Amino acid sequence: MMRDVLFRLALLAYPRAFRRHFGAEMQDDFRRTHLGPLGTARTLSTLFWNGVRERGSAIARWTMFPNATPHLYEPNGRHFMFWDTLRADIRHTIRQAIQAPLYTTLAVGALALGIGANSAIFTVVQGVLLKALPYQDPGQLVMVWSHNTKEGKRENPISPANFVDLRAESRDFATLQGYYSFVSNTQIVVDGPPEIAVTSFVTPGLFGLLGRSAMLGRTLTEGDPAGQVVLSHGYWQRRFGGDPNIVNRQVTLDGQPATVIGVMPPEFVFPYKGMIGPTGFTRSLAVDAWTTLLLTGPRMVDASDRFVRNVHYLAAVGRLTRGTGVEQARAGMAAIASRLEQAYPDTNKGWTTTVTPLHEQVVGAVRPALLVLISGVAVILLMACVNVANLVLARSISRQKELAVRAALGASRWRMMQQALTESLVLALAGALLGLVFVRWGVQALVALAPANLPRVQEVAPDATVLLVTLLVALVTGMLVGIMPALFAGRADVRGALQEGSRGTIGSRARHQLRATLVVVEIALAVVLTVGAGLLLRSFAGVMMIDPGFKPDNLLTLQLSVPYRLTTADARRAYYAQWFERLEALPGVTAVGGTTRIPLGSTSVTTSVQVEGKVVPMAELPEVEFRRAMHNYFEAMGIPIRRGRGFTADDGPNAPSAVIINEAMARRVFGQADPLGQRIRTGPNPSGAWSTVVGVIGDIRHAGLEADPAPEMYVNYLQNPPVAPFIAIRTSGDPAAMAELVRAEARAFDPTLAVYDIRTMQQIRSESVAERRFLLVLIGAFGLLALILAAVGVYGVMALVVSERTQEVGVRLALGAAPGEVLGMIVRQALTLAGTGVAAGVAVALTLTPLMANQLFGIPSFDPVTFVAVPIVLVVVATLAAIVPARRAMRVDPLTALRID
Amino acid sequence: MDKFRPETFLPLTPVAFEILLALADGERHGYSILQEVEARSGGAVALHAGTLYRALARLLESGLIEELNESPDPSSGDERRRYYRLTARGVAVARAEVGRLEGQLAAARTRRLLKGARA
Repeated sequence: MMRDVLFRLALLAYPRAFRRHFGAEMQDDFRRTHLGPLGTARTLSTLFWNGVRERGSAIARWTMFPNATPHLYEPNGRHFMFWDTLRADIRHTIRQAIQAPLYTTLAVGALALGIGANSAIFTVVQGVLLKALPYQDPGQLVMVWSHNTKEGKRENPISPANFVDLRAESRDFATLQGYYSFVSNTQIVVDGPPEIAVTSFVTPGLFGLLGRSAMLGRTLTEGDPAGQVVLSHGYWQRRFGGDPNIVNRQVTLDGQPATVIGVMPPEFVFPYKGMIGPTGFTRSLAVDAWTTLLLTGPRMVDASDRFVRNVHYLAAVGRLTRGTGVEQARAGMAAIASRLEQAYPDTNKGWTTTVTPLHEQVVGAVRPALLVLISGVAVILLMACVNVANLVLARSISRQKELAVRAALGASRWRMMQQALTESLVLALAGALLGLVFVRWGVQALVALAPANLPRVQEVAPDATVLLVTLLVALVTGMLVGIMPALFAGRADVRGALQEGSRGTIGSRARHQLRATLVVVEIALAVVLTVGAGLLLRSFAGVMMIDPGFKPDNLLTLQLSVPYRLTTADARRAYYAQWFERLEALPGVTAVGGTTRIPLGSTSVTTSVQVEGKVVPMAELPEVEFRRAMHNYFEAMGIPIRRGRGFTADDGPNAPSAVIINEAMARRVFGQADPLGQRIRTGPNPSGAWSTVVGVIGDIRHAGLEADPAPEMYVNYLQNPPVAPFIAIRTSGDPAAMAELVRAEARAFDPTLAVYDIRTMQQIRSESVAERRFLLVLIGAFGLLALILAAVGVYGVMALVVSERTQEVGVRLALGAAPGEVLGMIVRQALTLAGTGVAAGVAVALTLTPLMANQLFGIPSFDPVTFVAVPIVLVVVATLAAIVPARRAMRVDPLTALRID
Repeated sequence: MDKFRPETFLPLTPVAFEILLALADGERHGYSILQEVEARSGGAVALHAGTLYRALARLLESGLIEELNESPDPSSGDERRRYYRLTARGVAVARAEVGRLEGQLAAARTRRLLKGARA
């Protein structure tokens, strides 16, 4: 009994016809042979594999030689079932497709474009949003931030003391590890002059927490001392030529001897952009090296050897214990934070915690933009579907007779619909196949076009999921395209169509209305896309119009790292004095300055400030951005001095300390009072020198063009010259052309001076809006494509209308109508379609655009300018598309037209 | 139609040749082919059902064998069984295969590969 069932199951591997022919006998043979269990198993398995092979060769023959069917497989009525029908339909479709190459090319081309574009965008979405992060069990990983409730900053770095307390008290984390909430440009000496390596300082248990091991050597592990460095794959390749003996190599990192202990695999990324601190962005995020962050030393502990609680610069990532949800961890952390708030009100009042799933932290910021993108490309595919459906409908008119003959010969309605659906599915699959060819290039182009700081963009690559989704999209597309023609095929008018020379069915009203409806839908979709593109364009223009607070033209910037031998402030002062003198002497340079944090291109650092004569609890001190201004910084940047004065050579190391603040800080700290002459002190310390406010400068958009200017204070660098400042050089001509000259001058000045990241401010400004531009370029391209598709759709329908009304037009012209009236008549008809489509599209767009409000800047989602301009553009496009066939109608020769029959 | 050329079928697969051999002395059904092959080879060659019927299907398609319309032996009472016999083409192909094998045998003899063979 069991044997029989198994045998029947194995038989299922064979093609149906084979099974019907031989199955009973095979089973009979099997019953007669007596085999042990092993023999039975062997027989069944050969049976099964033979079946698979038979099926394979049957399929191969099907596709290669559809007409040379062996008689065994020939349908003989009884076997004339689904697969045979399908095969017949596919053969028929292919024959039809070959007979109408133009139609086939257009349809497959449009679908390939639509499906290919969707797959390419989906590949990006999948790589960025959907794929798991390259860590072990990434679902358990969360980010922990300090939440400054007073200033509404949810994702503030954590202070060392708070980090230590959170780590010690939390029960929801298997482990909690920290890193500097920024990456540092660190000096590294390998074998020559010092260079810069982008370095991330991490607590040694971090790699274990992420569950990643090294490709070569080992990673940092819990308890590792300082002076060990792990290299990224890219840096190892680039700087060390992929040296296999890199492990145990000695280098100097940040002036200290360090040992290379390992190299990470190429796909390892840490930290992602979203995991870096909140204010602004660093210039480079591709980490070259990781090294140990120890919770010791002057930054971590204060004079009385306690962890620092009021300075925030750590980011924390944790792995939840099994079974712990994010909500639970959130509540647990908040409880600890509130205990700390009570224990240390001076520093912790108003501070709680934010716990965010790591995946959300990394890609959350780009999700809305990518969703807009994939919606846009889906609309394009819908439009392609509508266009092809229209094409199929148009063609079905010329195939009226064929369908009628089939119906007359007894094809059932279902059978005819099946045939029509098969046709569109074959078209869609062919389109998908062709589209897939372009996906690779499309994805490469997208990745090249994408902003370099788009998180995970380097992880984007087509994979099996993309293939599967493409197939699914193709099937749905085929259904969408085929459903209308299928319904029509199902009710062919047999008698009418078979009457010789009959014209009644060609213009069949229902079909006509359907085509008109499709065009209306198409125009409506085009409106939606174009409105989206218009809104993004207006937002982009708005962002680019924003005054950053300085003059970005004719400005060259670079970063320095001075040699370690300059250990004293005096040595650095002398060094910088010479350096600025040499730069100023260069031809074409009009002003030179520097700062510790350059706008649009670096992270920020904040400090709390006290105002003389105002007693405020420590936790309520205002936080402001802190920078040093070097040489003629404000002049070089073109930052206006609103009141008071800028720094002069008199603000030297021994002069009374002076500060310059921006207007935002004046408002924030002094309100209505006059800031000039007031004295302030940085940090929460109750002692320390006061500085006098000597000037007020204009506001600067540091964290990005769209970010509101933050309160800022500047001190003169002479009182504590920095070691790695940004230099700003104002030029009289093209700043990019000066880059080489400046580099050469730096080399001539001191070969051990590390000069890097030379870029014009316009470049930096442009990169700061790269994400917005990426979205705009793509949606703009989709909008343009939508316009073209809509024009093609209108043209197609109107051309058909004209050819159908030739006779009528002839009569009208013969009766004395002016050609202009005929033109007007046709164009009016097109405008009715366009008007309906535009109205529908505007209604849909009004409901959809609020969803993309977070991508807009400076305009409401119902921006009147866009909502007026787009309909006008579409009506113009529709009119132009209609004029071509309308002019043909105008030139109809009445005599010929009347003689058609 | 093109002239029929038996050589185009050569060499036959061992299974196909066994089937042609089994059918050489009259019509048989599938199971009887299995038994005949097994008996003649003394159990050394055992055909699996899957292999046999796939080979039968190929031979039918290429017209080397054909199905009988009715059972030659109504008394057998086994009406489900299909009987096969060699066609003229089948005979020609089987002969050509035998000729090819003979050539190989002869070559083997001259090279003293066969036991007791004399040059």
